[in-house]
Amino acid sequence: MPLPEAITRLSEALGRLPGIGPRSAERLALHLAQSDADGVRQLAQAIVQARERISACKICGALTEGDTCAICADPRRDGAILCVVERPLDVFALEKAGSFRGRYHVLGGKISPLNGVEPEDLRIAELESRLAGVQEVIVALSTDVEGDATSFYLGKRLAGKGPKISRIAHGLPAGAGLEFADEVTLSLALEGRRELAP
Amino acid sequence: MHLAALRLRDFRNYARLDAEFKPGFHLLLGDNAQGKTNILEAIYLLATLRSFRGVGGAQMVRHGQKGYFVGAGMLARAAHEIKIYWSPLERKLSLDGQPVRLLGDYLGTLRAVVFCTEDLQLVKGTGRLRRRFMDLLLTQTHAGYLPLLQRYAAALRSRNALLKLPASDPRALEGFTRQLVEAGVELMRLRRDLWPRVAPLAREAGARLAGPGETLELVYQPSVRADFAVELARNRAREQVFRSTLLGPHRDDVQLLLDGKPAAKFASEGQKRSIAIALKLAQAEYLSSIHGAPPILLIDDIMGELDARRRAGFLPLLDRARAASSQVFMTCTEENWPRELGRDLQRWEVKSGALRPL
Ligand SMILES: Nc1ncnc2c1ncn2[C@@H]1O[C@H](COP(=O)(O)OP(=O)(O)OP(=O)(O)O)[C@@H](O)[C@H]1O
Ligand SMILES: [Mg+2]
Ligand SMILES: [Zn+2]
Repeated sequence: MPLPEAITRLSEALGRLPGIGPRSAERLALHLAQSDADGVRQLAQAIVQARERISACKICGALTEGDTCAICADPRRDGAILCVVERPLDVFALEKAGSFRGRYHVLGGKISPLNGVEPEDLRIAELESRLAGVQEVIVALSTDVEGDATSFYLGKRLAGKGPKISRIAHGLPAGAGLEFADEVTLSLALEGRRELAP
Repeated sequence: MHLAALRLRDFRNYARLDAEFKPGFHLLLGDNAQGKTNILEAIYLLATLRSFRGVGGAQMVRHGQKGYFVGAGMLARAAHEIKIYWSPLERKLSLDGQPVRLLGDYLGTLRAVVFCTEDLQLVKGTGRLRRRFMDLLLTQTHAGYLPLLQRYAAALRSRNALLKLPASDPRALEGFTRQLVEAGVELMRLRRDLWPRVAPLAREAGARLAGPGETLELVYQPSVRADFAVELARNRAREQVFRSTLLGPHRDDVQLLLDGKPAAKFASEGQKRSIAIALKLAQAEYLSSIHGAPPILLIDDIMGELDARRRAGFLPLLDRARAASSQVFMTCTEENWPRELGRDLQRWEVKSGALRPL
């Protein structure tokens, strides 16, 4: 007997989430369909609320519940150093490492010709508009081909606009994003940053 | 290193196989279409995660089933357990119960060299096959090679995608060109270093197979003459026309010369076959010299087609495999297995997807 349609539909929706394969999606759907109705309602509400409350900080692009994130709003953070990362998640990884005192800028991805992502699709113009008073831009993108090409691109595009442009040291796990690096590795990578040749 | 246990589920014509193998020489005997080559294919898959028949996963799933499973117990200095599951929806590879995250960590668990009729294409076919031969050899002997190759391939795909756009930011193209050149220069260096070590082995193997007087030479032919970056820049106008990257390691080749002349054009069919075997013998011997132990040899059908002298060309390698307690798996139809390989053979009968010791 095939599964009821409502379960197949739920399982398809779950299967689109990152890290969830078809088998686990089906298991989760079956589990949810048979769980206590109140618990499921709460879960559904939590999902909707999280989606509705969270938005991108209008300055740096990180995740926040208000207009601006806690870091952009914090006067003790050093506005002369901007750290450029790919995704909001990377801000959390670097904050956990704990050694960075400047502010962030989330690009929203990297140049990815195979996925149709071109420089205009990233928050680079927004970055350029934040450069007044900035002395150093640290590019902290992943070290795979797209990350390295994007770093190179930023080096070229920001050259001569005032701040020194550096990138974090290649101590990160090969081809991985910042979330795979442990806190010590991240701190060392930040410390060992080198200037990008213009 | 040897394969101690092989388990197949819904792989080709095997619904279920559980076999144990000792070190030494295994002869798989059986009529046509019984599943002899399929066993070699499974062992090769464990070594390289590919079929030597050049097909994808779907063809290896037993007709009408969802996916195949291939499992192995390896005995080297330590014991290892490998599990591969493949279906159109799911691919799993685990080593000792842990999912494998980086291919480079896995390859090398089982090293194998296959001798099969398709090898003839190494001589007759396009450069793609000779590049694959060279890439496999380097992957099997150099830990950093595979990640580098993958990085190059990623840079190449991205760069080609950019070249296909009607208009793109030249600084973005330059960014990917940099990645391409960095990885490409390193690839070419490793490839260039490889041939002086492999060519003499192939020359000796060629002389053993064909008798003295025919000299086999292998010459690496990089598509880049001197400076990758400069030559790419010089090709920009042509790239704009063809909208793809026209030179680089993905266009490299290896020239096979017999007595100074290109083998693909001038060698006879028999000579071409000998050259193909010489390349594989050189691969096996190079692996032995690097790792201190011979790889598992998978010999499919070819013995029956060779004359006594060419068969004798194999003997030193087979003796070495025997001395090192490595393994040889050889398929034959009953009538034509070479008797001179006589002593201490372990004979198996393969019959409609089942294996039985004889
Ligand atoms: N995906 C598959 N599912 C089921 N059976 C398959 C599949 N692929 C191949 N076969 C069967 O496997 C058999 C061929 O096996 P194999 O190539 O190992 O034969 P062989 O014993 O090496 O024969 P030969 O001596 O002719 O080379 C054929 O009967 C073929 O139909
Ligand atoms: Mg066969
Ligand atoms: Zn912010």
